Amino acid sequence: MSADGKVGEAVKKDQGVLYMGIDLGTSRTSVAASNGVRTTLSSHVGYPKDVVARKLLGKEVLYGDEAVEHRLSLRFYRPLAAGVLKHSQRTTDDVAGNMQAAADLIREIIRLGKPKSDELVYGVIGVPAQAAIHHKEAILKAARESLDSVMLCSEPFAVAYGLDMLEDVLVIDIGAGTTDLCRMHGTMPEESDQLTNTFAGDYVDEALAELVRRKHPQAQFTTRMIKELKERHASVSEAMPPVVVDLPVDGKPTAFDITEEMRTACRSIVPPIVQGLSQLIATFDPEFQQRLKNRVLLAGGGSLIKGLDLAIEAEMKQRLGSGKVLRIDEPVYGGANGALKIAHDMPAEYWEKLK
Amino acid sequence: MPEFQVVKLSEAAQGLFSAEDVERLMRAEFDRAVRHKFSLVVMLVGVDRLGQLHDLYGWESKDEILKAVVSMLRGSLRDSDLLGLTQDDRILLVFPHTTPESAGLLARRMLAGARKLRFDRDGRTLRISLSIGVANNRAGLDLSFETLVAVAEDGLTVADGAGGDRFVETELYQLYEKKRRAKQRAREGAGLAPEEPARIVAFVPPPESQPGAAPRLTPDDPIGQALLELLAQQGFEGGNFVGVDPEAVATAIRRANEAKLVPAVPHHEPATPEELREKQRQIEILERRIAKLTQALGLTEEELRRVASLKGVDFGLPSIYKTVQGLSGAEPEFERKKVMMLTILEANLALKRELER
Repeated sequence: MSADGKVGEAVKKDQGVLYMGIDLGTSRTSVAASNGVRTTLSSHVGYPKDVVARKLLGKEVLYGDEAVEHRLSLRFYRPLAAGVLKHSQRTTDDVAGNMQAAADLIREIIRLGKPKSDELVYGVIGVPAQAAIHHKEAILKAARESLDSVMLCSEPFAVAYGLDMLEDVLVIDIGAGTTDLCRMHGTMPEESDQLTNTFAGDYVDEALAELVRRKHPQAQFTTRMIKELKERHASVSEAMPPVVVDLPVDGKPTAFDITEEMRTACRSIVPPIVQGLSQLIATFDPEFQQRLKNRVLLAGGGSLIKGLDLAIEAEMKQRLGSGKVLRIDEPVYGGANGALKIAHDMPAEYWEKLK
Repeated sequence: MPEFQVVKLSEAAQGLFSAEDVERLMRAEFDRAVRHKFSLVVMLVGVDRLGQLHDLYGWESKDEILKAVVSMLRGSLRDSDLLGLTQDDRILLVFPHTTPESAGLLARRMLAGARKLRFDRDGRTLRISLSIGVANNRAGLDLSFETLVAVAEDGLTVADGAGGDRFVETELYQLYEKKRRAKQRAREGAGLAPEEPARIVAFVPPPESQPGAAPRLTPDDPIGQALLELLAQQGFEGGNFVGVDPEAVATAIRRANEAKLVPAVPHHEPATPEELREKQRQIEILERRIAKLTQALGLTEEELRRVASLKGVDFGLPSIYKTVQGLSGAEPEFERKKVMMLTILEANLALKRELER
């Protein structure tokens, strides 16, 4: 729509128009495009530490799993991690390096979307609900190099918009660095409709590592190993299969049963999430609170924890009397799909204004 | 006259004399014929539609065809006969001690031999035909070797223009010879040569339709008269044909042959089965040419993609949209989404303003 009400009026462009929806996540960055491309990349960026590493790797910048694999030879960044991008006032962090890495990551994900050079490329980027202004600036600056016009929107809103659930819906977007909670009530969510906490994937990793370290002090592992174990076995179900893993002890692989630790660590994010939900529900119109409780969407990579929807429902029942949680079909691409839909629905003149 | 230049002969030409050898030997043989007053025949042979076959099946096929034709021609030659390949894939032959009558028989034998050749390509059998231009050192005429080759070349042009698979002798010896001499004299500051009547004889013998002796075209018959008139229009008046452009003469000859050949199959009459087969064959050739070129284009594109991938170049994938879309009025919750899009825009404009400060 424009000021004069010309919503949906197509502007003729001979060369074609490519829409891109990008979910800029702490752990993974995903893109969905109107040329059928849909791909995801782990949000890691690395730069060779020295000339030798550069010659060995043959690249100036490495991304995703490749960067993780060679991280010992790199200045390694996870630019969208909580505490860095979102809270970069901390002087101990390499703020400039993280900003540069975030910009490079955006360029790379746009390149992976395979835009043709002769097409107009319009993109919507989902960013954490409470991303700081200077991070948005870095994102916009990087995106404008590759996109003809670009807009930012809140990640949980993009998820809800993509599913056409615009009214009386609570969205839980569990990422690696943060969990975003967003209340949808038929209009664009405001500041008061969104909550962000750090009880997310990284928090589970740390909790699991601590629990394993406490129970099996002889076991040797890194946070990355723990993260991989979590991605393979994460569950909060009482009936989950035993999690027996090999961890080195003095160099020898040794089997450890970490079933209980896995369940406990995964469950640790449930109370804070439900507490946030309670807060959003309690401040909502009383007449619609019940409806809101029964329309909770679970999205993001963290939603892949088995039984999490039921665990949240149980916690809601205990604290709020009832609750119904629905896990979205494609947690990894939910945000990108929603951003793509927003890009598609955005009128031509709006894009022009932001060029 | 064909240019005898040093060229890298293809496989088809291997075993033949080099271009220089051919020219030197041919001139020597011609000089000997003049000196000892024996008859000599020059022929220029071309494979019909060789260019199309080259485009359709590649240079290897063209080479194979030329090689087969040369081999077939050699079977008709004596040891004393000379054979050379010109730069434009034509074959020049010199037959010492050969009369004009024998030349006709020889040319027919060559045409028949070419018709028997078969080439298998893409599951199909290709057949070929030849066009031959014939010339001889007419007794009593003081001709140069260049004139004989020019006449043979003219004959080949006429034979090819009339559809090929035939031989033609255009008796324009005097015309070419006088033109040559005039040019020579002009260079020496001499006057024009005296007028001489022109005799034009074309042999157009499609063996299937006109077996036996080739019809003789003379100034007495209507076609010959028409041809003379055409020549006159081109500047050949009163027998003074010195300075007449050979191209104009060639045009007149071609028109004369067309006048002789075309009326036999009026356009409004149904085509004969033979013509239909020929047309069908042409269509098949064109279709196969298109298929071949399409295939070549596909291979080229594939190669470009391969090279691009090696170089790390990604051309991208086209969007399904050719125009900017925007919200459709039929969209569920249209009004609500309208407001949301506007709100997103305003938030981004505010961000933009803040960034610009």
